[in-house]
Amino acid sequence: MSVEREPILELRHISKSYGSVRALTDVSFRAYSGEVIGLVGDNGAGKSSLIKTISGVHNPDSGELFVDGVARHWKSPHDSMQAGIETLYQDSGLAPDLTIGSNIFLGRELLRRGVLGRLGFLDQKTMERRALEELEKVGITVPLSKRTVSQLSGGQRQAVAIGRAAMWAKHVIILDEPTNHLGARQSLEVLKVITAAKEQGLCVLFISHTLPHVLEVTDRIIVLRLGAVVRDAPTTEYTVESLLGTITGLSV
Amino acid sequence: MSIVETPPPQGTAERPPSLLRRCAALLTSQQSILLVVLIAVMCFFDFHNSRFFSTSEFSNLIVDFCEAVLIAAAETYVIISGGIDLSVGSTVAVSGVVGAYVIQYLEGHHFGEVPSLLVGTLVCAGVGALVGIINALMITRARLVPFVATLVTLSAGEGLALVFSKGGTIGYDPVAAVWSATGFWIFTWLSVIVLVLTAILGIVLHVSRYGRYNFAIGSNPFAARAAGINVNRHVASVYILSGLLAGLTGMIFYFQTSGGAPQSGIGNELEAIAAVVIGGASLVGGAGRFTGTIIGVAILTVVHDGLTFINVATTWNEVVVAAFIALAVLLQSLSAGSKKLL
Ligand SMILES: Nc1ncnc2c1ncn2[C@@H]1O[C@H](COP(=O)(O)OP(=O)(O)O)[C@@H](O)[C@H]1O
Ligand SMILES: [Mg+2]
Repeated sequence: MSVEREPILELRHISKSYGSVRALTDVSFRAYSGEVIGLVGDNGAGKSSLIKTISGVHNPDSGELFVDGVARHWKSPHDSMQAGIETLYQDSGLAPDLTIGSNIFLGRELLRRGVLGRLGFLDQKTMERRALEELEKVGITVPLSKRTVSQLSGGQRQAVAIGRAAMWAKHVIILDEPTNHLGARQSLEVLKVITAAKEQGLCVLFISHTLPHVLEVTDRIIVLRLGAVVRDAPTTEYTVESLLGTITGLSV
Repeated sequence: MSIVETPPPQGTAERPPSLLRRCAALLTSQQSILLVVLIAVMCFFDFHNSRFFSTSEFSNLIVDFCEAVLIAAAETYVIISGGIDLSVGSTVAVSGVVGAYVIQYLEGHHFGEVPSLLVGTLVCAGVGALVGIINALMITRARLVPFVATLVTLSAGEGLALVFSKGGTIGYDPVAAVWSATGFWIFTWLSVIVLVLTAILGIVLHVSRYGRYNFAIGSNPFAARAAGINVNRHVASVYILSGLLAGLTGMIFYFQTSGGAPQSGIGNELEAIAAVVIGGASLVGGAGRFTGTIIGVAILTVVHDGLTFINVATTWNEVVVAAFIALAVLLQSLSAGSKKLL
């Protein structure tokens, strides 16, 4: 820690209201490369509103957002993607009938060289090969990338979806409850992929209600309550009990 | 069978399937079974009337195949994208009638045969595309489900075709009739054009980015949108393509019947959908093969013509078609099971 590091993502005094409902109040935090940050809070605490602000689904009413030291103002989610932020929303997922490789490259298809490429012909071979390589980098071993996603288990699908985000994100991946609906064993595999993404130097924002998962995989936990940050501390300073107390505000 | 739960040691990723397995998979694929069914049906008709395997009968088959294949191709795109287009049949009728009207008018004003026919073709395509645009607006803007939106244009098209034509056939065009019969061997020039267009549609569906988006949107529109695909724009384009192909089919009927008849193509949407289902596409979208549809159209064409050929009342046609749809659905569930076995 001798070198002073620049935060890859910084929020300063972000506030957001939906009409009269105040969803976020003066939220500030910094996030660094190679760091997994847990974002926890009760239902309605403002977690989804916060990530929608970061990923450009909507704009904050006030406050500033910096990515890689530059002040940003998103016009659409596409802008945040261009700036290196990939978001895995709660229910968007993958296209089950397409192969793993096709899903990894969905919306970013590689085209053949020359005239065929200009006519929109896909370079499927290269996509399948590169998908395999990139997934391996985050610890996902795909036996055959030609397999369709529908042939995978829930945990495998989620792992591939995170692998996809990790492959395309330059700086930050945001995961909104990626272990929801997954069994214990399958969740474990998802957590492994999160760790692998971190080791690649990405910053991971991990939203989850499953506190043991959050405690296991994160370096730092930010607790939101009624739209405001009530605690931002290294994970080592929390236990399940103290975290639960901070979330509910019943005892600290 | 797992990708993360039991990662194999480095460098020992699952081997590609052996040649034997690949052959077994090929033989049990829906495509091959369909092909066998097609050949069996043809042999059946030839057994009952030995003149079935003849160049004259095959040229008839190709003409009828071409009347059905473009709207079945359109329906393949639409169904894979997760929708349905019930309006293709009546779009054939309305575009054929309007096209015939324009051709008759132009020829009546000494515009010349060939230019008139070319303009007529463009008009047919344009009327079809217009119906497609109306469908697209109802589906992507007014948010009607495709079934309802295209039911509206189905009825409207059928009615308008009758209104425009006053119930009769518009125009009598011997030049078009003669040209549509010229060609070589069992092909007419018209059928060559249609077959080339069909091949292009098949290639685009399976190897282009446009086709990939079509599958992705049918499979999971939310994932497609999150991946940056403009879902509304693509869906709109698919219905416009469908209308366009129905319009061109209207022109094919014009050549075949040498005039625009309001009953041309009416009800043909059901055969198009049947061909797609027989071909193995999923009615909920996301999955299907163009070659499956092509074989489906071929089977339906052979059954339709064959029944006439062996002097069975064509009223049996629907019953036989229904049997084929049932068979196809059965095959689908069987091959889903065999995937697990192999
Ligand atoms: N689109 C919206 N319109 C109005 N209120 C909203 C909207 N989205 C969220 N809210 C409100 O904002 C607050 C924060 O919600 P949200 O960010 O979804 O919380 P969380 O994801 O932590 O459950 C809640 O009070 C919620 O009711
Ligand atoms: Mg939420």
